[in-house]
Amino acid sequence: MEMKDTGIISGNGDEQATLVVVFLRGGADGLTLVPPVGNSDYYKVRPTLAVAEKDILKLGDANCGLNPAFSGLLNIYKEGGLTVAPGVGSSDKTRSHFYAQDLMEHGGQLAGGWLGRFLRYREGRPPSALSAVALGKAMPEVLRGAPAATVMESLETFSLGSGSGPTESLQTELGALYGAKENILGPVARDTLQALGRVERLRREDLPPENGAEYRDDSFSNGLRQTARLIKARVGLEAVSIDLNGWDSHIAQSSLISPLMTLLSEGLAAFHRDLGELMNAVTVVVMTEFGRRVAENSSFGTDHGRGGSMFVMGGSERGNVLGEMPVIETGILVGPGDVPVVTDYRDLLSPILIRHGAGRAMDKIFPEN
Amino acid sequence: MKPKISDDLSRRIFLRGAMGVSLFATSGCEKIEDFLGMEPQEGPVVPPSGEGVDLVSHVLNRLTFGPDPSEYARVKGLGVDDESAVAFFLEEQLSPNEIEDKRTQRAVRRLEAIHAPLGELYEYKEDHLLEQLTRATLIRATRSRRQLFEVMVHFWSDHFNIDISKKECRWLKVADDREVVRKHAMGNFSALLKASALSPAMLWYLDGRENRKSGESEKPNENYARELLELHTLGVGGGYTQKDVMEVARCLSGWTVRGKDRFFKGKVEFHADAHDDGAKVVLGNEIASGGGRKDLDDILEIVGMHPSTARFLGRKLCIRFISDDPSEASIKKVAGTFLSSNGNIKETLRAVFATQEFLQGPRAQKLKRPFEFIVSALRGVRARVSSEMDVVDYLIRMGHAPFQYPTPDGYPDIASPWTGTLLWRWHFAIALARNEVSKNIKVEEEVLIEKAGGVDGLAASLLGRNPSVEEKAAIERSGEPLALLMASPGFQWK
Repeated sequence: MEMKDTGIISGNGDEQATLVVVFLRGGADGLTLVPPVGNSDYYKVRPTLAVAEKDILKLGDANCGLNPAFSGLLNIYKEGGLTVAPGVGSSDKTRSHFYAQDLMEHGGQLAGGWLGRFLRYREGRPPSALSAVALGKAMPEVLRGAPAATVMESLETFSLGSGSGPTESLQTELGALYGAKENILGPVARDTLQALGRVERLRREDLPPENGAEYRDDSFSNGLRQTARLIKARVGLEAVSIDLNGWDSHIAQSSLISPLMTLLSEGLAAFHRDLGELMNAVTVVVMTEFGRRVAENSSFGTDHGRGGSMFVMGGSERGNVLGEMPVIETGILVGPGDVPVVTDYRDLLSPILIRHGAGRAMDKIFPEN
Repeated sequence: MKPKISDDLSRRIFLRGAMGVSLFATSGCEKIEDFLGMEPQEGPVVPPSGEGVDLVSHVLNRLTFGPDPSEYARVKGLGVDDESAVAFFLEEQLSPNEIEDKRTQRAVRRLEAIHAPLGELYEYKEDHLLEQLTRATLIRATRSRRQLFEVMVHFWSDHFNIDISKKECRWLKVADDREVVRKHAMGNFSALLKASALSPAMLWYLDGRENRKSGESEKPNENYARELLELHTLGVGGGYTQKDVMEVARCLSGWTVRGKDRFFKGKVEFHADAHDDGAKVVLGNEIASGGGRKDLDDILEIVGMHPSTARFLGRKLCIRFISDDPSEASIKKVAGTFLSSNGNIKETLRAVFATQEFLQGPRAQKLKRPFEFIVSALRGVRARVSSEMDVVDYLIRMGHAPFQYPTPDGYPDIASPWTGTLLWRWHFAIALARNEVSKNIKVEEEVLIEKAGGVDGLAASLLGRNPSVEEKAAIERSGEPLALLMASPGFQWK
């Protein structure tokens, strides 16, 4: 079997919609990412950490805005490519990173993650070799249970076999053997080899980002850049998971998360620009396991809370604020003083998954919702 | 195939096993074996030599997790011809308790947590229990001589699927595996069904513990009742109605299990005051009022031996052992035996293996699921595995980690949902052959080739037949016989 890269891998002209899940691990402070606008209580409980009203990037007449670090995302919002969702979270009340991440990635008390179940149960033909990719060292919970998932740190380190020694001659022979016999693995082998061929070519050519996009040189931006390369190479990519770690800001919050917000914003903006019109078939969800306590603590940090802020970026978004920033006043706050969860994360995800072809599988993806 | 076997012969088979042990016992390497939990058994290797898969290889492919290199010769030697050899093999495998399997048992015994009594399971961390249970499952599938038994354990684990992630199943699935699935895997279906119905883990998984009717306004929880009919017994289209589901739920109301915050955690009990004790009608059978806890037995008797159940199970067994799309004739035969033997699982299996379709139908046309692929590779190359968890990563990437299927229908048993796993099968094949899965998994390709009498012999031993001209050429050109063979199409099918 010849390794051409002109064929179609995914059976639908390779117009594969791709869902990218960015997980901000550690519990990102929703009130810093998306600060409330015109809310005087916010400044009372956050004397040192509040974002000054004049610095907040306003989103029309919404009662919340974007942190100034997200200036790169403001234009995307204005063009209608970004949804901003305050007060999103899960039913988790443990405020434990471990439990809250598990719950949010599993989508309930179920084996594997919701993204894995999406791939297993969604309508259409079974996932192909590179349908699901986790950029990183380990398989994230959200992708567990997918019928096939690939973990790679980068395209450069990804290969058949565990990296030592070439596999070209094995691939050639496998192509011949699988091509010789009529059974359902024949076409799959051809697609798989084609996907490997395209990855190989990507590696060789290392095409620069398009539309003047410039990625920073950090692992998050690199992950997004690899994702964009895979999308452009039409390898049948449907689901991607990328983590951005380090949001657990108990102490000296601003110095900790300001640089992270810049990484997040610049990474997403470069990705958006790089893909250009291809963004029409791409959705990026930015989520975190929980938001943080409303009142800052004595070490200029915040503690684990409930409602957080999430973002959805993509061609099919309408560019709005989903729901409203909950009012920050005592009596409304939950538990030890947390932003209440006004939108369940599954309600944020469901319409996206349906758009990506979940069809009737939604009750299997989120059976408890 | 004649199922009859004389006492003399069973003794002979037993002795063969016993001789095997004594050889090992005197070899003085018991300690090392203990360390290498999955140190493979040795024996002369005489690979298959037919152009196609012969009956012995076919039976080994379907009744086991794939043959060890010496298994073909051993089974071949059990009879004067292939038919009698597989008949003896089948009888051997149908009496698992008589097969000597000490090494496997010893390896599993070290996994202390999974042997803990019900209530004590809660003393372990959930992750630790899952790890130990997964390791035990891999050790048994890879090492046990009771292969058909282990295959049936897998079958029932899917049939009565429990997702270990749900609530207290995290602790209780261990007991379900031991007391329900393994205890009854080759016993009687009615006993298995009852054990499952009263399994603490199942009461959690399908919400049976919430099913109560204490007053007029309270509605029974129908979750278990529905799956009992749809997945465990009659099957969709098995002739039950929504009304039947509701009536079954009424019959089972009042059964519950104690949660982890109480004394006697995990204990199953019947609360008469939460039971709907009125009269019910299930599938046309009247169940008189006042039955109390006996309602459960009545219900299970009605659904367990229902003709639709026989058909549904017959079909699933045929799909498991014969083909993704088994013939009506095979299903009928198996279903008939299921009913006439009163749900005797061994008799029902005999019926499966006696069908024309099994004996003469297409061979090597059931796709190995990822778990079977990995285990058959480990067995086929006599891998020395000292850490079973090192292959679990691959199972996770291929979406087939044991006890981690989210919905009650269990992992699918046909080819199409698994085709996307090819990339990772190749990845594993190459890594295993190159000794790159991990430092805890060792394969000696040269020794394998030498023992099999050459590369063609190795190919035949892995494929269950002589390699074709194309395969020989590909092996030669690739320069990596073992990697190519395990990644090749021939090794994906059983």
